[in-house]
Amino acid sequence: MNVDLMTSETAYGIAFIVAAIGAYGIATSRNLIRTLLSIEVLFNGIFLAIVTYLSQIAVLDTLASVIIVSVVSGEVIVIVAVIVSFYRIAKTLDSSSMEEEGV
Amino acid sequence: MNVGQYTPYIIGFTGLFMIAAAIAVTRLKDLVYSSIALSFVGILNAAIIGLLGFPVIAAFVITVYVGAAVMFIILSVSMLRPTETETREEFRGSFVATLFGLGIAASAVAVDLVKTYHKPGPHPLSAVSSILLSKYLVVLGVLFVALAATLVEAISIARRGEER
Repeated sequence: MNVDLMTSETAYGIAFIVAAIGAYGIATSRNLIRTLLSIEVLFNGIFLAIVTYLSQIAVLDTLASVIIVSVVSGEVIVIVAVIVSFYRIAKTLDSSSMEEEGV
Repeated sequence: MNVGQYTPYIIGFTGLFMIAAAIAVTRLKDLVYSSIALSFVGILNAAIIGLLGFPVIAAFVITVYVGAAVMFIILSVSMLRPTETETREEFRGSFVATLFGLGIAASAVAVDLVKTYHKPGPHPLSAVSSILLSKYLVVLGVLFVALAATLVEAISIARRGEER
């Protein structure tokens, strides 16, 4: 499905601002959970840009989006499990302790 | 009244809420509230995708991403309830966000230039889609089985920490 230029430009603008906020969150915090949440914000921004882009060229739009969301959801579950496991061992969520341990 | 002509404005208005929720994710002190703000980001993202004309993808984002993945994050963070104070590096964050914004702007200009000078010919794109759903249906099945395996993997990793 094709969307008009103004709509797509609005969507691109929002997507890039949200992605930049996600990048800011990743760089600012050393807390592992906050970093994960910021990565998800970044993903939401990039995903919106991808959907908007696919809507213009009509290439596998629905299928590609379904695959992207499925893979990211699986990845989130594994990352949360790793963070929980790390927290149980290290008793902290600060990523600098991982650097000290050489992880 | 033609509702379609107001779509960019509705998307822009929804986008403002989405940006506010994204800022809340990075700024709120309590990680549980940050996780809840992330679910709002996902819901508003789905709303924009729906407004762009993709209700199936919007429903999928709501059910799989917000309904499963983000809810999993909220429950995990609620159970962990870390109490330690968080160290933040504001300057580094601002620097990276600025670089990221400049990179995206450069990419957007580059894509625009490519679109201007490169005119792609017609491709049977719907045919590609139908081939993927017929010929490569097994591959898609394997993908979903692999995703189910990640759940088992996650449980295994979490239990390993518990055993130690």
